[in-house]
Amino acid sequence: MEYLIHIAILISIYAILGLSLNLIVGYTGLLSITQAAFYGIGAYVTAILLTATGMNFFISVMLGVIITGVLSLAIGFVLSKFKDDYYALGSFGFNVIIYSIFLNWQSLTRGPLGIPGIPRPSMFGFTFSENIWFLVLSAAIALIIFGICEYITHSSFGRVLKAIREDEGAIRVFGYHTIWYKLSIFVIGAMMASVAGALFASYITFIDPSTFTLTESIFILAIIILGGLANNKGAMLGAFCLILLPEVLRFVGFPDDIAAQMRQVTYGLILILLMLYRPQGLLGEYKL
Amino acid sequence: MDIIPQLIVNSIIAGAIYTMVALGFNLIYGTVKFFDLGYGAIAAVGGYSVFYFYKILNLDLSLSILLGILISGLVGYIVYRLVYAPLRKRKSSGMVLIVAALGVMTALQAVVAILFTSQFQTLSQNAGTERVFSILGGVITQTQLIILILGLVIMAIIGLVFKFTLFGKAVKAVGDDEEVSKIVGIDTVKIIGWVFFIGSAIAGLAGILVGFDTGIEPTMGLSLLLKGVIAAIIGGIGNVYGGVLGAFLLGFIENFGIWKISGEWKDAIAFGVLIIFLLWRPQGILKR
Repeated sequence: MEYLIHIAILISIYAILGLSLNLIVGYTGLLSITQAAFYGIGAYVTAILLTATGMNFFISVMLGVIITGVLSLAIGFVLSKFKDDYYALGSFGFNVIIYSIFLNWQSLTRGPLGIPGIPRPSMFGFTFSENIWFLVLSAAIALIIFGICEYITHSSFGRVLKAIREDEGAIRVFGYHTIWYKLSIFVIGAMMASVAGALFASYITFIDPSTFTLTESIFILAIIILGGLANNKGAMLGAFCLILLPEVLRFVGFPDDIAAQMRQVTYGLILILLMLYRPQGLLGEYKL
Repeated sequence: MDIIPQLIVNSIIAGAIYTMVALGFNLIYGTVKFFDLGYGAIAAVGGYSVFYFYKILNLDLSLSILLGILISGLVGYIVYRLVYAPLRKRKSSGMVLIVAALGVMTALQAVVAILFTSQFQTLSQNAGTERVFSILGGVITQTQLIILILGLVIMAIIGLVFKFTLFGKAVKAVGDDEEVSKIVGIDTVKIIGWVFFIGSAIAGLAGILVGFDTGIEPTMGLSLLLKGVIAAIIGGIGNVYGGVLGAFLLGFIENFGIWKISGEWKDAIAFGVLIIFLLWRPQGILKR
């Protein structure tokens, strides 16, 4: 039971990540491979504030969201100068740079040692120390974010995003400043990822830089590509499948080391096969 | 101790390795116009093939290296035929190809890790007792000298092949306009297949040499590849000599960049350079 709750918590955290990246990649058509960086910033801000100042979890989440917002605004601004392949490559670059900062700014992040002893969230004297309660919290936040995504994508703002994805030149002719739309959705997506990071940090109670590498960004991308681009339910479905799949592999009886690598092989194969046979994923409404 | 001569020598050695990766990458990019990220994993394939033949089967050194290069080329060719060729036939967008390439990279790396574990291995039998030369007051090992010479030789060969042979001209033609080359009777599938074979063989060689110089691990390809891509872009993508120039420039910037700070920042510096170039001089130093 405890094990199932653990899986469910992970699914809800990755669902948030998937939803956030889907706004950027699926709805707006910007192939960003840097979501793990924002996920990491959220995690580190929360971890540092909670361990150093004993601040309330929810306030630290807010601060993390604000800090991520400011940073992603700057990163998004630089990235907005690039197109397609170069956009992907540039976003790669920011992931590597931010990972280096986690690793090397040792006075703040303790570098490769990581930050242990991050407390669980508490509210009005109630601490979410039991996993079942943490699941309630993370699932609730995932649902709220799902609601926000549905709202955004069904609003007129969301329609402009889709129009940018289909034909940026044409929508510009109608007088839309596409750069502001692209920037806003990039920042919104980054902020959501930061919330997921805060949840992750306080759930695992320990973080180190190795969680927030390029591989993680590729994994998040795999989630939304499998689930389906430009479909919020697809992002959640993708998280569900890709978190569950390696657990199935574990039951097949591979040793731990091999199981971890088998997982990578499966992710890789899923990406290749999807691109070959079903580029829109399971529920997708948009092909890259 | 005077550090500047050693920094210069280190920069040249780094430049020589990046040269090789950039040459192979440029060859492929110049012909098919997409970022083949799977190419990074090929370097690891080369390194580990030699590890298998030379250290486990105890074959002759030069035979092992030859086999390693052939296997790398072959893997690159197979990946092209199985994944990229069908996608390109369908006129998939560059982003689809990037995602597929990410899948190839993730899967290949993991397969290597399953076969050989993810431990760091070194290829050379006599680590630490190698002959060293001193140039300009800095120290360079025999392996590093070989890397430097091979890098320049491969550059010269590619430059000459492009200029004087029918094959080189065909490759150039395919890079300029695939449709028209098909019409004038060039077997584009065959030419591109060869390009992938040769480019991947060069990547494999780079992986092997790095293995002799420092060591191999399954994830070595990604950072090698990214450096190669950065070198190719800042030098002028698709331009043989531009890639070499970019590689040495990158080597110098990286090594002088970490003069006063920790060496862990190298990757961040490299990507910083990439982003600066993409912003202000996206065509690179030498235009194609």
